[in-house]
Amino acid sequence: MAVENYAFLIPVLPALAFVLTFFLGKKLPNGGSIIPITAIAISFVISLLITLKLLANPEEVVSQSYSWFAMLNIGILVDPLAAVMLTMVTFASLLIHIYSTGYMSHDKAPSRYFAETALFTASMLGLILSDNILQLFICWELVGVCSYLLIGFWFEKPSAATAAKKAFLTTRIGDVMFLAGIIVLFSDLFKIFNGTIPDGVYILRFDEIFAHIPELAAMNANILGIEVSHITLITLLFFGGAVGKSGQFPLHVWLPDAMEGPTTVSALIHAATMVTAGVYLVARTFPMFIAAPDSLMVVAYVGGFTALFAGTMGIVMNDLKRVLAYSTVSQLGYMMLGLGVGAAIGAEAVGISIFHLVNHAFFKALLFLCAGSVIHAVGTHDMRQLGGVAKVMPITAATMIIASLALTGMGIPGTVIGTSGFFSKDAIIESAYLFGDTTGTWLPYIFSILAALLTSLYIFRLIFMTFFGKPRTDYGGHESPASMTIPLSIFALLSLFFGALTSKTFNTFVSETFVNDFVHMDIHELATLGGYHLAEHGGHHEPLIILWMPLIVALAGLVIAYLVYGLRIVNMDSLVSRNNPIYKLLYNRYYQNSLFTNFFSVKFIYEGLAFAGRATDRGFDWMTKWFSDLALEAGESLRQFQTGAVQNYATAVITGVSLLVILVKVVMEVI
Amino acid sequence: MIPIALYLAVAAIIFSIGLYGLMTQRSGIRILMCVELMLNAANLNLVAFSSYNGDLTGQVFALFSIALAACEAAIGFAILMALYRMKDTISLDHINVLRW
Repeated sequence: MAVENYAFLIPVLPALAFVLTFFLGKKLPNGGSIIPITAIAISFVISLLITLKLLANPEEVVSQSYSWFAMLNIGILVDPLAAVMLTMVTFASLLIHIYSTGYMSHDKAPSRYFAETALFTASMLGLILSDNILQLFICWELVGVCSYLLIGFWFEKPSAATAAKKAFLTTRIGDVMFLAGIIVLFSDLFKIFNGTIPDGVYILRFDEIFAHIPELAAMNANILGIEVSHITLITLLFFGGAVGKSGQFPLHVWLPDAMEGPTTVSALIHAATMVTAGVYLVARTFPMFIAAPDSLMVVAYVGGFTALFAGTMGIVMNDLKRVLAYSTVSQLGYMMLGLGVGAAIGAEAVGISIFHLVNHAFFKALLFLCAGSVIHAVGTHDMRQLGGVAKVMPITAATMIIASLALTGMGIPGTVIGTSGFFSKDAIIESAYLFGDTTGTWLPYIFSILAALLTSLYIFRLIFMTFFGKPRTDYGGHESPASMTIPLSIFALLSLFFGALTSKTFNTFVSETFVNDFVHMDIHELATLGGYHLAEHGGHHEPLIILWMPLIVALAGLVIAYLVYGLRIVNMDSLVSRNNPIYKLLYNRYYQNSLFTNFFSVKFIYEGLAFAGRATDRGFDWMTKWFSDLALEAGESLRQFQTGAVQNYATAVITGVSLLVILVKVVMEVI
Repeated sequence: MIPIALYLAVAAIIFSIGLYGLMTQRSGIRILMCVELMLNAANLNLVAFSSYNGDLTGQVFALFSIALAACEAAIGFAILMALYRMKDTISLDHINVLRW
């Protein structure tokens, strides 16, 4: 049997592992971690084999569909895009699970932890494998549930419980938009088919959706006086969902709070699962986006702005994990920007964005695991208390520095020398330049360059504050066990070399997603539909300075960080005082927390709900009282008729009969 | 042949007498008698129409209604007898146990 036939096992095995670990884990050593590790390892092998097969022949897309409710289906689809994601998710998840056996060894409920992470992985894999938008949405929600469970893993801590709730509710805003998009799409397709769906046609399957993009683009809706095509409306709603899941501005507020879970969970959420789901959704439905003139522009702006915005907050955080959290938000912004510039470069944007996604998964997982290693050994994640950790934990420090180099995208332009981030991040920045060149919209490019500077600044600030200089407090500490350092080393190798090794093939491979037999899209044609003119992609005609720009700003950030936090030539205490308005603004995260939590949710939602509840309560009270009074009074007045005198009854009968006769007479006359 | 209008006129007169009695009399027996009058007026109409149309249906109906009236009268008298034993009167003004 060919390996494709086992593709469905990829999410099924971790799901099975969830059940087994949940029920048997307590009886096994180390919380039964062996079950999810084995399951995910097998999933990884299957994914890898399918990917290799697809690499050899991208036409051989794995597609299996089964009918479900007549015109819907459940099914799996492994095309190059899905294959790349599957391999990355299973691999990162596998290493994080192995690492967790060390990290969670002192925890009270390791079996619950491993069960939940297995389910998390399963949901994410199911999401990637879906061949229709509805199944994708179901897994999308499952991912949300798992994030809620894992962020609130230490639920006895009020802050963890709050953070879990916050993540769940914030992403819910996006989910509702996503669902609305699906509903609009469904009803539109139903209209296109005139309500009669032929047998064997599954209307929410991606190939069917993509085949009807021209018709969708021709349908117009009027929203607040603005004419938009239905495809724009649907893609914007989808992007709304992606904004929620991928922590884009303004729904990014949940992501930094998600640090309340174990660090490994942060690594899982930030690297492999959950947050990449939004990017994946946009990439998956990219043919729809490219046919929507304004949606991609929105994606580019939101992505670029998020990259910059999160970066500004990253530079003032003192919590190791929070810096990394803002880094994730920022990098996700880059990925969205990478997709948004599809307006200029077409399907290649998906390749660039997913390439960054995969690279990011490796170095962000590494960053988080290193942070976890530090926290595990030292017991604090406040950078102000650390310093000189490199002496105590050389492996952790070395891998973390590698990850930071990858994050900032260090490499020499024009050559194949560079960390993995160099190949993907620079590609995005260059595409943003090309985007500005073709569309005249320069803001996303400016955002991306400034964000690159900030990225370098905050990550090297973290490095210098944590690993170099003199220890600020007496924290002891030791290098972590092998179960933790080996995954670190593997991730480090990938962060260093993955980009260089795959940069040639990755983009073309992922671009095959849209031209194979399954969907067969002509991206250029779709772009013309939305009124784009894709830039010709023969060789780089960007000025040399554009190629070197990302490296220059990254080095600038490194130097500034070294001067300020390494050599400590500036007395930070004066700058960092609470009286400095800019610092205050950044440190308080632009007061969005107060705005969202204290004002929006407490004042607006809670009090609004309380008011609505009170009003409904009173309404119902009044209504029940009114009904009972009515019944009583009706009874009272009817009682008066029962005189007990026969003559009265006779009168009533006679009158009634007379009236009836007259009525019949009149009716007969009329007829 | 006597015209049908005469039958109807007689029936109407009997019905009105019955109705008047029903509304004005106080004695249960008399009221029952008045009801009988009204029923017989209706029966008269039925037979008259039946004969006029050459259709026996109306006469059959009349027979039914006579039989029903007899039953009703029997039950009515039984009730009145029972009431008389309890209350020593059959004047309906004094029998108002159903009153609220």
